[in-house]
Amino acid sequence: MPEVILVVLPAWQFAALLLAPLAILVAAAAGLRRLVRRRGAQHEDKDWSVPPLADAAGTTLFHRWDIRCKLLTLIAYSFLVASLSRVAPALAAVAVSILALVLARSSWARVLMRLLAITGFLAMFLVVMPLTAPAHPGDTVLVIDGVDWIGFNLRGLTKALAIVAKATAIALLMEPLLTTAPLPVTLHGLTKLGAPDMAGQMVLLSHRYLHVFRHEAERMAAGMRVRGFRKRTDLETLRAVANFLGMLFVRSFERTERVFDAMRARGYRGRFPAPAELRMRKTDLALAFAWLAIGAALVVYDRLSG
Amino acid sequence: MHISDGVLPISVTVGGYAASAAIAAWSAHRTRSEELPKVAVVTAAFFVASLIQVPFGPTSVHLLIPGLAGALLGASAFLAIGLGLLLQSMLFQFGGLTALGANALMMGVPALLCGVFFQRFKGRTRRRQAIIGGLAGALGTALAALVLALLLATGGEDFFGVAKIALAAHVPVVVIEGLVSAFTIGFLAKVKPALLEPAFVQSEKAAPCLR
Repeated sequence: MPEVILVVLPAWQFAALLLAPLAILVAAAAGLRRLVRRRGAQHEDKDWSVPPLADAAGTTLFHRWDIRCKLLTLIAYSFLVASLSRVAPALAAVAVSILALVLARSSWARVLMRLLAITGFLAMFLVVMPLTAPAHPGDTVLVIDGVDWIGFNLRGLTKALAIVAKATAIALLMEPLLTTAPLPVTLHGLTKLGAPDMAGQMVLLSHRYLHVFRHEAERMAAGMRVRGFRKRTDLETLRAVANFLGMLFVRSFERTERVFDAMRARGYRGRFPAPAELRMRKTDLALAFAWLAIGAALVVYDRLSG
Repeated sequence: MHISDGVLPISVTVGGYAASAAIAAWSAHRTRSEELPKVAVVTAAFFVASLIQVPFGPTSVHLLIPGLAGALLGASAFLAIGLGLLLQSMLFQFGGLTALGANALMMGVPALLCGVFFQRFKGRTRRRQAIIGGLAGALGTALAALVLALLLATGGEDFFGVAKIALAAHVPVVVIEGLVSAFTIGFLAKVKPALLEPAFVQSEKAAPCLR
């Protein structure tokens, strides 16, 4: 077995090695956020009480793909991608996802928002893993001259990079998977695949009311700001936030009662009518097989390259 | 903190799905089917609540509220949290679709435990309810952080460093969460005490669910 390879670096190079990716990440996150905010500002007056997961007017491959096939295929594919362990196959998976994004003509603003949401968690891996992965025989570890309590393990870095690539690949697939059919149809497809009917209904209702309550919360927050409330790190802020939360619960519970009574009055007996008729064609199945073959190929590549 | 895709070993993600599906089925069984819309709307309220940022020194933390969810929903809390996480990952990519089972375990099991804890010890006075609520809130977050660290540690020794950091990052959240939960429960005890009764969603008779 080869020994651990130590590469001694001067302190400034070591610091640069640590700080450069961090700086790039922070800059990227800030840039993404600004981009998303600017995009968001353009249609500020959009009514958020209307569920957004529903622009299904497209005619791309993904829009026409039978929902059951699409869900099964892409979810199974996601698990295949999640089981990869090397950087190169994971990067190939990212490329496949980008191809899917282009094919589905997804909204880049929403894609960026999804990436932004996972940046923080993944940055933790990128920063922490190289520093804490224990050195095994054959590893290359960068160390500072004369300092032996910290080392930058390149194996840890590649592992972290593989995780980041896998997470990105799957996150990018979510737009083609979820926004190429209206949410009720997607949930209907899930039900047809064996998910309990009530789970689909509950997601639908939660999704609807999520936006109503967000609206409500924004109104309440605006009221608090007008009365001079500013968030600080103190007990008073926590008390105000807690009362805000409590009020949000009370209002939403009361609203729930009314909504529920209204639903029952209209004959709700535990199910909604089916939103769409599903038809499976040969092309749907062919696409599913092709896609899964790509996933299987990635896994084989992953195992062989080790 | 939500676990994103591709982090956990594949066996843990699949196992997480199996375990949380079983617990969710139990949780659904304990919830009357006519009451499901209520749980759904409460899920939405918790979802919005978890978007609230609380300043902490130079940065800010967002509330997790597994403790509060458990205290208010009882056995239905797991279902509500699982659905909330599904929506979060569908809408905002907080946590990935493949890691959903693990995330539901991480937040839902502490919520169930906190619900039992709160209902058992809440007593009658408002002060006591607030204190127990605060403890439940802190306990819920602490347990969630612990489960997160354990799940991360299943990845092997390379992940131990990340697991420790994630655990340490939750210490301030535990304190903030405990205080906010105490104040919220105190507020609810004053304004709408009916919400703090054992699992208000499953009123009088627990009829079997239609599903």
